[in-house]
Amino acid sequence: MTRLTPQPGERIDRSRPITFSFDGKPIQGYAGDTIASALLAHGRTTLSRSFKYHRPRGELCGCGQCANSLVDVDGRTGVRACSEPIREGIRVIHQNAWPSLDFDVMQATDKFGGPFTPVGFYYKTFIRPRRLWPLYEKVLRGAAGLGRLPKRQEERSWETEYRRRHCDLLVIGGGIAGLAAAITAAEAGLDVVLCDEDVTPGGLLLSEGRADRAQALLGQARDAGVEILERGVALGFFDGLVPVWQGSTLHQVRAARHVVAAGAIQQPLIFADNDLPGIMLSGGARRLGAVFGVSPGTRAVVATVDDRGLDDALALHRMGVRIEAVADLRREPSAAAAELQAAGIKIVQGATVVRAHGGNAVEAATIAPVDGGGQAAAVAAERIECDLLAMSGATHPAASLLLQAGGRADYESERAGYRVTEVTDAVDVAGATAGDDEYELAELSGQLAAGRAAAALKGGPAPHELEQRLASLRRPLNIATPPAVASDGESAGKYFVDLDEDVTVKDIEHAVGEGYESLELAKRYTTVTMGPSQGRFSQIPSARVIARATGIDLGDVGLTTARPPWQTVPMGVLAGRPFEAGKRSALHDRHRDRRADVRWAGDWRRAYHYGDPQGEARAVQTSAGLIDVSTLGKLLVQGPDAGELLDRMYPNRMSNLAPGRIRYGVMLSDAGRITDDGTVCRIDEDTFYVTTTSSGATAVEGQMNWWLSAWNLDARITDVTQGVAAMNLAGPNARVILSELTEIDCSNEGFKYLDAKHAMVADVPALVLRIGFVGEVGYEIHCPGPQAAHLWDAIVGNGSRAVTPFGLEPQRILRLQKLHVIVGQDTDSESTPFNTGMGWAVKFDKEQAFLGRWALEASADQTPDTALVGFTVPGNEVMVEGAVVVAAGEPAGQVTSARWSPHLGVSIGLATVPTELATDGQSIQISYAGNTYSAVVTTKPFYDPDGEVLRS
Amino acid sequence: MSYVLTCPNCGPREVTDFGFGGELHPRPTEAPSDRDLNRYVYFRRNVAGLQVEWWHHRSGCRAWFLAERDTRTNEVRWTAMPADAPTEGATAA
Amino acid sequence: MSLDFLTPALGAGSPPARSPIAGTAARDGGRLEVRGDWEVPVSFGDQAAERRATQESVGFADASWLTKTQLDGPAEALDGCVAGLSFGTASLHRGAWWCRLTPTRALILGAAPAADSVSGAQLLDVTTQYCALRIAGPRCREVMARFCALDLRPTVSPPTALRPGSVARTPGLVVVEEAEQLLVLVGSALAEYFWTVVSDAATRLGGRPVGTEVLRGEALDLQEASADA
Repeated sequence: MTRLTPQPGERIDRSRPITFSFDGKPIQGYAGDTIASALLAHGRTTLSRSFKYHRPRGELCGCGQCANSLVDVDGRTGVRACSEPIREGIRVIHQNAWPSLDFDVMQATDKFGGPFTPVGFYYKTFIRPRRLWPLYEKVLRGAAGLGRLPKRQEERSWETEYRRRHCDLLVIGGGIAGLAAAITAAEAGLDVVLCDEDVTPGGLLLSEGRADRAQALLGQARDAGVEILERGVALGFFDGLVPVWQGSTLHQVRAARHVVAAGAIQQPLIFADNDLPGIMLSGGARRLGAVFGVSPGTRAVVATVDDRGLDDALALHRMGVRIEAVADLRREPSAAAAELQAAGIKIVQGATVVRAHGGNAVEAATIAPVDGGGQAAAVAAERIECDLLAMSGATHPAASLLLQAGGRADYESERAGYRVTEVTDAVDVAGATAGDDEYELAELSGQLAAGRAAAALKGGPAPHELEQRLASLRRPLNIATPPAVASDGESAGKYFVDLDEDVTVKDIEHAVGEGYESLELAKRYTTVTMGPSQGRFSQIPSARVIARATGIDLGDVGLTTARPPWQTVPMGVLAGRPFEAGKRSALHDRHRDRRADVRWAGDWRRAYHYGDPQGEARAVQTSAGLIDVSTLGKLLVQGPDAGELLDRMYPNRMSNLAPGRIRYGVMLSDAGRITDDGTVCRIDEDTFYVTTTSSGATAVEGQMNWWLSAWNLDARITDVTQGVAAMNLAGPNARVILSELTEIDCSNEGFKYLDAKHAMVADVPALVLRIGFVGEVGYEIHCPGPQAAHLWDAIVGNGSRAVTPFGLEPQRILRLQKLHVIVGQDTDSESTPFNTGMGWAVKFDKEQAFLGRWALEASADQTPDTALVGFTVPGNEVMVEGAVVVAAGEPAGQVTSARWSPHLGVSIGLATVPTELATDGQSIQISYAGNTYSAVVTTKPFYDPDGEVLRS
Repeated sequence: MSYVLTCPNCGPREVTDFGFGGELHPRPTEAPSDRDLNRYVYFRRNVAGLQVEWWHHRSGCRAWFLAERDTRTNEVRWTAMPADAPTEGATAA
Repeated sequence: MSLDFLTPALGAGSPPARSPIAGTAARDGGRLEVRGDWEVPVSFGDQAAERRATQESVGFADASWLTKTQLDGPAEALDGCVAGLSFGTASLHRGAWWCRLTPTRALILGAAPAADSVSGAQLLDVTTQYCALRIAGPRCREVMARFCALDLRPTVSPPTALRPGSVARTPGLVVVEEAEQLLVLVGSALAEYFWTVVSDAATRLGGRPVGTEVLRGEALDLQEASADA
């Protein structure tokens, strides 16, 4: 193939050559070329190998709609060569062929495997013996699929950013209808965005030699304030949100209204070996010539069922392509035929193409008159040499987004295809998508859709006059219905209904034969329409085959709605920017400075330890430790009814708490299950300071507010979690250290266990709570985040006693020695206060119908089936959390926490066990990974069982 | 799922701004029978159609409000703060 | 007992309050200095270039030091508030943005009102709960569009628009302070994350971080903050 003489309005700039490589060889094209047009200009007709049979495939649509032109560009796979512009130096590599595109050993599956590899063959054949499947799968997976991802992560990175765009109207498609709609709407004062898949909008105007008109309309649209997203692909309709992929940006367009003016998709014809390179849609062939100045062939046969094919044949003729013959399925010559005949082009009426001939590209076509079933009359068959076989099998509206939005399309036999019959409030259609594909009609229908949008959004009359004018201009259609399959009756050759997935007519018939008679079932069985082109070219052909095989009317076979994305899109585009909304405490820089092992804990980044968790735990017990507990949820509950609210939220009583005192609280659902826990401290008569678990703050605040609105109490809740830092100073020296930093009385008499005091600590205002999660004398110091680092430094550098910062892991060791329960770790959705040893926290003697009261009352007189107990394991083995507790050979519980205790020098843990085993000294069996361990139950804390240290 | 919900305080927002609180399901005002307790705790109507339900504008004003939504189409008929809701029993949670 | 522990103690004898943005801004080249008892990034090396960014593309600056006061009260009390509290619009009153969040709650950004100036309602200092950035310049809305679904088009969200809602996938609040200046709040624990997200979006659009003093709001500037404290 070669370049044509310059075409009017062509996109390429012949003065600007650009060089890139294809499979290592340099290729020169011009600025404006796509990869495919540049390759075709160099005579390369095979662009890819097919998915299953590895057959050579070439350009089909010429506009990025099919999977025939998928290539790998600089390590990015699945790029559409027929829409991707060339750039200097890009490295383009073919996909799915080895060792080369022109010689692919896997084509053996086509030559020899053909009759032996029906759909489902691989799975049915290799699934037995079952044990060998992993091996088979590896080989089969290697042979299947398209493209190869780069091996190294760095080469796979993809930079995409999201961009939110709100607008009044999103127009999808920038052909004449879309441009007209955008201009009309913008001039009516709407905020309009238009996206178009091509490098420059214009649609069919561009391939029909009217690029100047497209330019003028584009200019008018810009002047009217329309934002144009070129090379912007609308990927789907998600409840009114339309992602438009444009290079490294994913626009998330939220429009009040949408107009789909995405055109219509020319349909292929089904005949023997209809996939050879050189067989193209007539519109695609014409586009190659008009837009890229590439001759799609030198001698062409055109097969058509409508005037579009005739029109394209004439255009190809004028470009200098010799039209050997036109097979027009319509029995009578169309009015449009006259011009072709005047140009000396032979038209055979009532005929179509029944077979293509050739090896690696089409060399000839057999055309013949066919009967209603597509069978050729052998006597009249004519074999014609050609290197281009252009086909026009009527069109299918590109209304996928409308269908996703709840619109409807129905089959119309006079158009041999579907027409949109129902639009939605949010989504309208225009132009060829609406069935109005002639210029004047398309323009009017675009204006009409815009008028409807403007009327809906701005008020004003609906554009009835325009509607009537459009209706009066519509002419009757003259389209012949293509047969499901056109055949010369010979057995040789494959008839493809889906080029993406290599699904043939036989495959569909096979599926119907096995009982998959509906389109939806046949689709899943054969994968027809499920390839990268989303059924654009295979939905109607496969529906015709099903209709023929089952005797069901084509209209009743129905359509499948293509799911988003409408265009294949790299995963990286959907991933957005790589930032995670991690919360960090005001002390986080201190953890960084100490090279803490920082890990996720809920949505927080937390210091897990500073290098030596066991040592940190020991340090707490020998002198003092300091842990950042800023992640604790902290809620301020205020108001005259604050106490009443808490009495309803917690099973124990909070309203009688004295100011300056603290009480532990467990929170329950109305099913009596434990949802969270923490402490409640009374600040003054009307003010409580409530802490929750680290991950529970947001949920607890949400729940409390919900109940608050339901109960209509005079109280208010403020989440102060993020602004208030907290650190727990614990250990035998904690009291001395604190007393040196504050003026308050820190003696055990002056500052008792579960007391709270407000004080200046190291010149920072602080609320100090004497509580002890880790089992030592401890002070939880809450202070303003912006001054927390100062306080931390003052404590760590106190100059008198050693303070060791400790992380979450040593804290977990220490609390396990105390058998302190962590909600969510040691409890699950079955945990109640009664089966976790917290029955003491439930006060049935208070009057409030607190959350969970009724459910707990209903089971209060029953002994729980399980209990949460401590255990030790002789030997050095630390149990795995989640390991099974076995009783009488049956699973009877599980390990919820397990650690090595540096204090005891023994493996310890918490486990749920059957209640009858929950006695001190009881031996239990724990099993995991095929081993069984004997453990000994302990019901009291391992460390300071009576809390004497804690209270000292 | 990416429809728009209108917070009575803040206005229209993406549904991802909100937390879902389930269908309106009032808590018994007095100690229920075992059967009623069971129904209250474990059963929901789970309608295919219009349903009044709780939503929480957790990314915005943090208010709880009510919405009537068609569970099949996600069409939202109205949203309102509980006190202003055009429905019985809204404040009984 | 008091709630003083919610608020940094400022003034002589107290350590400076460190903005939640300070650490991450310093790592991005910000020079930290104490202004009005707050340790804030005052410059990123070239104040002239920083000013230019806010005029030609976009600049973003720490404004976390802004005093933030929560106002709670019955709906009628808030309705009758002298500052004029309406939904969706922030009203500028005595050097502060008064922002109605719910019928019974409002947030005041800037100078805290005197307790007796809001009858029937209670005040609570929540300064430390939020980090705040000012994002200013012709591309400030484009920056927001990279991580925020709020409709901030000038026609929909003109100056004084108040938009509580998700910002960078986290609870946030946007006040359109001027035609090309936004004040954005998110939780203070997300300061580093938020700074990273804004920085990523803004630098791709030709913007840059700017010193706190480059971007001053109508509501309040830093000197007033210290005077107030």
